[in-house]
Amino acid sequence: MKINTVLATAAVLGLTAPAFAETEITWWHAMGGALGETVEQIATDFNASQDDYKITPIFKGTYEEALTAGIAAFRAGEQPNILQVFDAGAATVIGAKGAAVPVQDLLANNDVAFDINDYIAGVRYFYADKDGKMIGMPFNSSTPIMYFNEDALAKAGVTAPVTWEEFQTVTAPALKEAGYIPMSQSHLPWIFTENFFSRHNLEFANNNNGYDAPATEIKVNHPAIKAHFQALVDWKEAGLFEWYGTGWGDNATPFENGEVAMWLGSSGSFGGLQAKVDFPFSAAKLPYWEAVTAEPKQTFIGGAALFAMAGKSAEENKATAEFFKFLTSADTQYFWHQKTGYVPITEAAYELAQKDGHYDRFPAAEVGIQQLSLPAGEFTKGYRMGFYVQIRDVMNREYGRILTGETTVEDGFANIEAEANKLLARFAKTQG
Amino acid sequence: MMTDTLTETPTLVQPKAPLLRWRVITDHAVLIVGALFMLMPLVLVFTTASLPDAEIVKHGLQLRIGDQLDDNFTKAMFETSGFTDANSGLVMLKNSMILGVGFAVGKIVLGMMAAYALVYFRLRFALFAFWVIFTTLLLPLEVRILPSYEVIQGLGLMNTYTGLIVPLIASATATFFFRQFFRSVPEELVEAARIDGAGPLKFFIDILVPLSRTMIAAMFIIMFVYGWNQYLWPTMITTDEGMFTLVRGIKQITQVLEGTNLPEYGRANLLAIIAVLPPVAIVVFFQSWFVKGLTDSDK
Amino acid sequence: MKRAGFANPWLPILLLVPQLTIIAVFFYWPAAHAIQSSFFLQDPFGFGSTFVGLENYADLLGNKEYLKVAGFTVVFTLLVTFLSLGLALLLAVKADNVIRGAKTYRTLLMWVYAVAPPVAGFIGILMFDQSTGPLTAFFQSLGWDFKLGVVYSDTAFAMVTVSVWKQVPVNFIFFLSGLHSIPVAVREAALIDNRSASGRFWDVTFPLLAPTGFFLLITNITYALFDTFGVIDTLVKGEPGNNPMNLVYKVYVDGFRGNDLGGSSAQSVILMVLVLALTVFQFRLVERRIHYT
Repeated sequence: MKINTVLATAAVLGLTAPAFAETEITWWHAMGGALGETVEQIATDFNASQDDYKITPIFKGTYEEALTAGIAAFRAGEQPNILQVFDAGAATVIGAKGAAVPVQDLLANNDVAFDINDYIAGVRYFYADKDGKMIGMPFNSSTPIMYFNEDALAKAGVTAPVTWEEFQTVTAPALKEAGYIPMSQSHLPWIFTENFFSRHNLEFANNNNGYDAPATEIKVNHPAIKAHFQALVDWKEAGLFEWYGTGWGDNATPFENGEVAMWLGSSGSFGGLQAKVDFPFSAAKLPYWEAVTAEPKQTFIGGAALFAMAGKSAEENKATAEFFKFLTSADTQYFWHQKTGYVPITEAAYELAQKDGHYDRFPAAEVGIQQLSLPAGEFTKGYRMGFYVQIRDVMNREYGRILTGETTVEDGFANIEAEANKLLARFAKTQG
Repeated sequence: MMTDTLTETPTLVQPKAPLLRWRVITDHAVLIVGALFMLMPLVLVFTTASLPDAEIVKHGLQLRIGDQLDDNFTKAMFETSGFTDANSGLVMLKNSMILGVGFAVGKIVLGMMAAYALVYFRLRFALFAFWVIFTTLLLPLEVRILPSYEVIQGLGLMNTYTGLIVPLIASATATFFFRQFFRSVPEELVEAARIDGAGPLKFFIDILVPLSRTMIAAMFIIMFVYGWNQYLWPTMITTDEGMFTLVRGIKQITQVLEGTNLPEYGRANLLAIIAVLPPVAIVVFFQSWFVKGLTDSDK
Repeated sequence: MKRAGFANPWLPILLLVPQLTIIAVFFYWPAAHAIQSSFFLQDPFGFGSTFVGLENYADLLGNKEYLKVAGFTVVFTLLVTFLSLGLALLLAVKADNVIRGAKTYRTLLMWVYAVAPPVAGFIGILMFDQSTGPLTAFFQSLGWDFKLGVVYSDTAFAMVTVSVWKQVPVNFIFFLSGLHSIPVAVREAALIDNRSASGRFWDVTFPLLAPTGFFLLITNITYALFDTFGVIDTLVKGEPGNNPMNLVYKVYVDGFRGNDLGGSSAQSVILMVLVLALTVFQFRLVERRIHYT
C-alpha cells in the first residue's frame, strides 16, 4: 500500500512538474578576489530571478589569461557563451569578424529592447564598430580620475587643480612645502596616453582612431604629449611627482599611506580606497593642459566588456541576451556600481543612484560618470588598434626608461612610434 | 651505518684543538645564516597570516602573531571562493594531491621503463630513440601551450585529471635521471643475473627496481613537488571549479584589479603555507631515504 | 661504457612505446605546430592568416629589445645556476661536517624546496615591497635606495635572489647525498694525504661530486631558463614594463598575453634550437669527462 502511494505521488509529481530544461550558459571572467564575489552574486541573482536559464561564471585568471583561454577555446570549438575582454584586447575580438555576435544583434534577435542612447555617453561607442553598432556589452567600466587627500590639500591651503598649469605653479609646490609628494599615477598608457588624447581631443591613430579602417599609424609622437612627459620628468626631478614602477598598487600605496597627496587612479578604485585609507579623501576630474585645449572633453572608459561568443545555439544565445538584459537593468547596475565603484553604464542606473542619494553620501563616486558625460569630441569615442596589448607594453617600457633617465622623451616617443607602427603592420597581415 | 662512521672521521686525525673548534663554529655559523636565509620569509608569511587584511595591506609582512589565524585558516580551508561552492581549500588540496601523485607516479613508471630499455638493451634505433626522448628534456610546456591545449581539447580531456597530468609527463627528466642511475649500477649484476638465467623482466623487477628504491623515492619527491606546483597548465585546462588546484587558488585570491578591493592577503598567506605543507611533509618524511641513497652507487 | 645488454628484440620496444607515444602526441605534435605557425601571421581566432616566410624571424633578430632579453637570459641563467649550486654546495659541505644538529639543519634547509614558483614570487613581492618590504627597508638602511619594478637592475636582483632562494634546497639535498655516498675509505685516505681542508675538498670531494654536479647543472639550467617563469611573472606583477625578463617569459608575453601567434611561435622555435644545441653540448662534451664508477 505504502509503496504504491509513493509511486503514485511520484507519478503525479512527474506529470505535473513543468517539462522544462534549463538552458545553461557559461561566463568566463577575470575578476579575482572580492570583485569576483560580486560577479558571482550577480550570476546567483540572475539564476534566482527566473527558471529558464542558468549562468555559471568561471574565473580564468588575469585579463590576458582570460582572453587567451577564450581564444584557445574558440579555436577548439569550446568557447564560453560570454567572454570578458579588457579594453586593450577588444580590438582583437572586434577585428576577428565572426568571433563574437554583436551584442546589438544578439539583443535584437531575441526581442530584448535596445537603444544605444540608454547608455551613458562615454561608454556608447568604445566597443562599437565603425557604424556605431555595439559589439561588446560594456561591463566593468571605469575612467581615470584624480583622488586627493583632503587633509593634505587643506594643510597646503590649495584645492584640487583643474589644469596641469595650476598643478605645476600652485598646487604641487604648496603640497611639497607641506611635506607631501604631490602626485603619483597608476597606469601611464591608460591615464597619460590614451586619456591624454581623448581629454585634449587629439587624434590618437589614423583612420579615425582605427574605427573606419584598421589603424596603420599611431599618432603618439605628438608635441603635446611629449611636452607632458617632459613636464613629468621635470616634476619628478623637482620632487613634485613620483613614479613607483609599472605596477598599479605600487603607485597607489604611497597615497593610501598618506605620503602622496594626489593619486590618479580608476573611478573603480573608490570602493577599495574606502576600505583602506583612514583620512578623508575625495576626487576630481583629470586635469588638462590649458595650453593644448580650452575645451577639455570626455575621457575613454577602461575596464572590460562582455562579448557573446559566436557558434552557440539559438537557445543559448537567447539565455545570453536575457542575462545581458538583467545585467543592464538599473537595479543590477546600481548594485554593481555601489559594490565596486565601477560606473553604472546606463542613464537609468545613474539616475537611480542619484535618486537614492548615493552621491550625497559619496560625492567622489560620481566624478567618473561626470567625466564620461562631458562633451564628446571628434576623437573621444575610443581607439582601435591591433596588437594593442603589445603596444601598451612598449609604452610602459619606454615610459619607464624616460622616467628613470635611461632615455630622453624625444627618443622614447620615437621608439614607441616606430615599434607600434611595426606592430600595426604585422597585425594587418594577420587579418589577410 | 655509514653515516655514523662518517660523522666520526674528523676525530681520526687530530688537528690542533682550537683550530677544530674555530672550524666547527664557522660551520655552524654558515648553516645558521643559511637556515635563516631560507626560512625567514616563510616564518614571516606565517606570522603575517595571523593579521587582519587591512593591516597587511598597510604594513606588509610582520613578525608578530595576531588573532586572525583561526579565521584565516577557516576561510582558507573551508570557505569556497568560487561560484559553484566546489573549490574550498580542501577540494583544491585534493586536486593538487592527485596532480602531484599522478604526475610523479606516471613519470617514474614511464621513465624507468624507457631508461631500462635504453640502458640494458642493444637496439638498432637506440641512438635515435635516445635523442627523440632527450630533446624533450629542456622544452617546457609553457612554450608550446596553445597547441597542447588544442590537442587536449581534441581528445576531449578538458577538466579531467588525465588532461591535467599526461601532457606534463611529456618530458624526459625522469628518464634522464633513471638512465644516469642505471648506468652507475655495476655491470656485474647483469652478468650475474644472466648466468643465473634470469630474463630481462625478472632482472628488472627483482633486482633493478628494488635497487632503485631510494632513487625512486627521490624522483617521487621531485616530481610530486613539480606537479603540485604547476600553475599555467591547470589554469588553461580546468574550467570546472571543482578541478582547481591550490596554486591556482592562491593566484585567484591575490589578483588585484585596479585596486578595487582589499586583497585577502591573510587568506592567501595561509593558503601559501597550506600549499607548502604537504610537499614539505613528504620531503621531511622521506629525507633519510632521500639523503642516504640518492647517488648511492657503492652498494 | 657499453652495457652487457639483453638481446630481446621486442621487450625494449614495448618498454619505450608509452613514453614515445606521449612525447609524440604532447611534445612533437605541438612543436611541429609551432614551427608551422612561425611562418605565418595569423588572426588569433583563426579567421585570417598570411604566409610571411621568415619575416617573423627577421623581425625578432633585428629587434634590439629581443636581443636585450636574450642577453639578460644568459646572465640570469648563469647567475641563478652558479649561485644556487655554489650556495647549496657550501651548505651541504658544512652540514656534512657538523656533528651536532646535522639533522635539524638538514630538515630546516629543505623546507623551501616545496614552495611553488608563483608562491615564491608572491613571497618575493612581499619581501621586496617598495613601501613595506622588510628587505627593502634593510637595503635602505644600508644606503641602497632599492626600488623593485622601477630600477631595472634592482628588479633583476630580486628575480635572481628569489630564484636562487627557491632552488638552493634541491641542490643541497643532492649534494648532501652525493657527499654521503663518497666511500669512507676514500675520505680517510684523503685525510692522511691532504692536511688542508680546502685542498681536500678541491682534490678529492669535488671531483667525486661530479656526476651529481652534472645532474644538477642540467636541472638548474632548465630551472633558470624555464621554471623561473612563475617567479618572474609574479615579481613583475604581470606587467613587463621596463623590467628584465627572460626568453620564456617573452614568449608568454607576446604569445599568451599579446596573441601574436606567429611571432611567439618563431620565438619558441628559436628557443627550441638553442635548447637543443645546449642539450647536445651537454651530452657530448660534459658527460664524456665525467667518470662513472
